[in-house]
Amino acid sequence: MELTLLAAALTGAASVWATNRILADRIAVERPTDVLIGAAAVGLLVGRLAAMMGAGVNPLTSPGDILIVRGGVSTGFASIGAVAVLAWTHRSTLPGALDQLAPAAIAGLAGWHGGCLWRGACLGTSTELPWAMASAGTSVSRHPVELYAAVAFLVAVPVLAALVDRPWLASGVGLALAGGVRLATQPFRLSIVGGPVWWYGAAVAVGALLAWFGHSRTRTRPPGPDSIEM
Amino acid sequence: MRRRSLPIVALALVAAGCSGSTDAAGAGGAPELAPITVEDFTAEIEASDRPMVVNLWASWCIPCRSEAPLLREAHDTNGDRIHFLGIATQDSPGDSVAFIDEFGLTFENRSDRNGDIRGWLGGVGLPLTVFIRPGGEILRTHFGVIDDAALALGIDDLLAEN
Repeated sequence: MELTLLAAALTGAASVWATNRILADRIAVERPTDVLIGAAAVGLLVGRLAAMMGAGVNPLTSPGDILIVRGGVSTGFASIGAVAVLAWTHRSTLPGALDQLAPAAIAGLAGWHGGCLWRGACLGTSTELPWAMASAGTSVSRHPVELYAAVAFLVAVPVLAALVDRPWLASGVGLALAGGVRLATQPFRLSIVGGPVWWYGAAVAVGALLAWFGHSRTRTRPPGPDSIEM
Repeated sequence: MRRRSLPIVALALVAAGCSGSTDAAGAGGAPELAPITVEDFTAEIEASDRPMVVNLWASWCIPCRSEAPLLREAHDTNGDRIHFLGIATQDSPGDSVAFIDEFGLTFENRSDRNGDIRGWLGGVGLPLTVFIRPGGEILRTHFGVIDDAALALGIDDLLAEN
């Protein structure tokens, strides 16, 4: 858990740094490092609280447990918490900020899924495909499903980076990708409790709507100062 | 302290979070789990004709609380094909029973007051989950909290071989 979070944080931070360098004077995110750390801290707190309550632990009666990150973090609620911080701190420049951080968020997701290598949980359902991998001590070959997701997200990062100057497009496509990749890899996953599949579907729908809105807006309006500076 | 330093301090505090133990006293007169020694344990896994999932836990171990519902769910789904065994490690009897009641664990649980089985398995902290083939051969040992994907993979590996 800790190393997976670390991998996600490192890839996300590297992407924020790269975005900051590439966009230089056009950056709409004020003090991106502070924003990243603040959003990550609040996201972790929200995700940890959600995981505690999901496990039947009352945070009010066991406040010390909140610090035990390895006890579990709900990634969905952590993401919502982090985005809420971003939305609040950049409420006047929200579309531009979201677009510019979308590649970093997707890079962070790639790191999260790639972090399976540290916890030995990359593999899914069995298959005979040539790139299948067997877990240690067994001869059962399986889909490296978490690596599928990591590679898909990594490939998407430069695509999103090329869209950051078009309001709502990068954030919309990023959100749709985040849900779409999870939906596409879901059949290859092993799970005891199942996943929040409808959340992924909702992310695809909302992301596609945002992307369509951004695309139609930039197509019908000539580029002006507000399209970049927000 | 400057305001912009606060997120960094918060992150450092969160990163420093780790599991710890307390010497909780057992409730007097409470029912106790049957004890298990290393000799009992090795004899039991060698005699098992079903694969086994063995989880070492303690009521004072915070990460153990997060995986207890997952283990209950895994047992409900696979309990007819896999023998689930929980071992309360270095825990007070009353607290162990309260933990089992709190999470509604219905699989077999025993008590290792000295933590000898954990040492025999090469573990230091808790929790610890072991996937064992029929006959006692250890397929995999998972140190630390186990998540949904890792538990499902271990169970599927055991079932795929049988």
